[in-house]
Amino acid sequence: MRVSAANLIAMKCSAFVAFMAFALALPSAAGAGVDVWFVADGKPVVVVRNGTTIESAVRQLIAGPTPGERSRGLRSAVPRDTPLLSVTVSQRVVTVDLGARFAAGRDAGALQGRVGQLVRTVRGIPGVRAVRVLLEGGVPVGLFPGYDLRLPVTAAVEPVHHQTTTRDLQRQLVDLGFMAPSGLTGSLDTQTSTAVLGFQKWANLSRDGALGESTVAALERATRPEPRLRAPGRRIEIQLRRQLALLIQDNKVVRAVHISSGAGGKTPTGSFRVYRKERYSWSVPFKVWLPWASYFTGGVAFHEFGSVPTYAASHGCVRVNHYDAPMLFGFAETGTPVRVFDEAAV
Amino acid sequence: MTPHAAGRALVGGIGVVAFLVAGTVAAALVLVALGLPAEGRADDTPPAPAPIVEPRPTELVVALSLGDPVLQAGAVRDGQVILARGLEVDVARELARRLHIPRVRFVYVRPASRLLAAKVRPWHVTIASIRPVRAASAVADLSTPYLGTDQAVVLRRGLPRLTALGELRDRVTCALRGSDGARAIVGSVRPALRPILVPSQERLLQLVQTGACDAAVVPADTVGRFVADRGGLLGPVTARVELGGGYVVAVTRGGPIAVAEVDRALERMRMDGTMHRLARTWLGIDPARLRALN
Repeated sequence: MRVSAANLIAMKCSAFVAFMAFALALPSAAGAGVDVWFVADGKPVVVVRNGTTIESAVRQLIAGPTPGERSRGLRSAVPRDTPLLSVTVSQRVVTVDLGARFAAGRDAGALQGRVGQLVRTVRGIPGVRAVRVLLEGGVPVGLFPGYDLRLPVTAAVEPVHHQTTTRDLQRQLVDLGFMAPSGLTGSLDTQTSTAVLGFQKWANLSRDGALGESTVAALERATRPEPRLRAPGRRIEIQLRRQLALLIQDNKVVRAVHISSGAGGKTPTGSFRVYRKERYSWSVPFKVWLPWASYFTGGVAFHEFGSVPTYAASHGCVRVNHYDAPMLFGFAETGTPVRVFDEAAV
Repeated sequence: MTPHAAGRALVGGIGVVAFLVAGTVAAALVLVALGLPAEGRADDTPPAPAPIVEPRPTELVVALSLGDPVLQAGAVRDGQVILARGLEVDVARELARRLHIPRVRFVYVRPASRLLAAKVRPWHVTIASIRPVRAASAVADLSTPYLGTDQAVVLRRGLPRLTALGELRDRVTCALRGSDGARAIVGSVRPALRPILVPSQERLLQLVQTGACDAAVVPADTVGRFVADRGGLLGPVTARVELGGGYVVAVTRGGPIAVAEVDRALERMRMDGTMHRLARTWLGIDPARLRALN
């Protein structure tokens, strides 16, 4: 069957008018209401509202969460009382013209978030392909970070949820001084676990050596450990409560090392200096070889030991794990000051 | 000859003389008007052409490029900016006020390269992060900078404020690879320790936060945002490494606004604290108030 050009145009126009009516006035596909997008804990959250048209969805968005929803933590970045000037549809692209109040504020996250809410809400209406946002009839340029609103938007910019990998966390441990760069393996190994223990001690977290949620959150906001005292040159601070040794060069902690000191206060507090170093030291009373031994008072030394628990467990020496023992031995040159603190007593 | 006739002859004689004199003067004027050689003129000094006095505009037309949420952003309808905000927008408004021009109209010029390259520039000034390079000064009169483009130093937590750039020499410094900051480290700090150059600002922030880097060198006009992103996790912004230069106002030549009056207005804005206030509002800190170290 041949269709004349005039008929074809008429058919297209009818289809367009029908879509306009559908989009602007008729119930959404589900028929139960419209989806309106808000935010909870930085993540998009949808709620269903009574309403049947795109315009009603946008108005519900501008109205914001109900008091009940707010008490459940729902928030909106769209300023309340933003004027809605018009909603039009053309070729499945919805143009929403809003008052200038929509661009109020300077918080980049809020500005980006409100466009995201609008796009999600309007794109959620079946049949809508894209959303064009206008302010007072003008095209926004540079007002909303992350969006180029000179063109219709087809998808909201997702909030940045950087997927933190094991390597990222190891990198953070290295940057903070809890692990040597050789520990950047990308896999959760004992060296990483040892470094995590050191970090957990510093941050006063539970000491399990695992990259759990609280440890990861603390790592992402962590800053480098600070020495308790200020003095030039190279020195070592031992913090008995934390069971941590800080290796310090010119007031900067170059490494923080997970240790285990003398049980029951057998490691004396005070100011000492490294006075003897032995690559292998024979412990006469305990009849055991102590690798990488640096003595700083009497028979008390830093040395490598197979077991370095999270608590004070030794006979008075400072046990160091085998990943850090050679490095600490090299750092603790003869004469290096060693200051042992019981933090509670300081 | 009758007295009447004699009188007519006398009058006629005088008339002939007068006619001849008038004719000579007229001819001389015509010759001068036709541009005969100067030696033919009675006076060698030509009259100075009257200066073309542009009437003072009732609105200052400012060209913008838009697109930076901090410096200039807005909404555009038919080429006119109907909503504008940002540091440079506020500078333009202040400028108009100090030039006693009651209104400001912003026009959006796209692409930004047209701001200076367009043959016809129907605007009085352009404010769009223009640096005073030769290409810009060839086509417009450039003001003194309203915002410096020096580098600022952000320290890690725990470090004391810098009093001299030399204090950074034995520290671990870092910057974005290929940036002015990287060049400032090499050229001005001359560090003893190898600087860390990274590809992203995220990594740069992380290095300063963790203390793997003691001091980051970043553009002074963005340092406020840099620090605000990691509130409390970084040390102070303590200093500025002067590299010279800055962003200037380009004044359209032949227009009613003179660059000298723009300079005077900018100077007054600096002196009375307006520029400081605008910088604090939009950038978080005023780069000009950072101690300059070299």
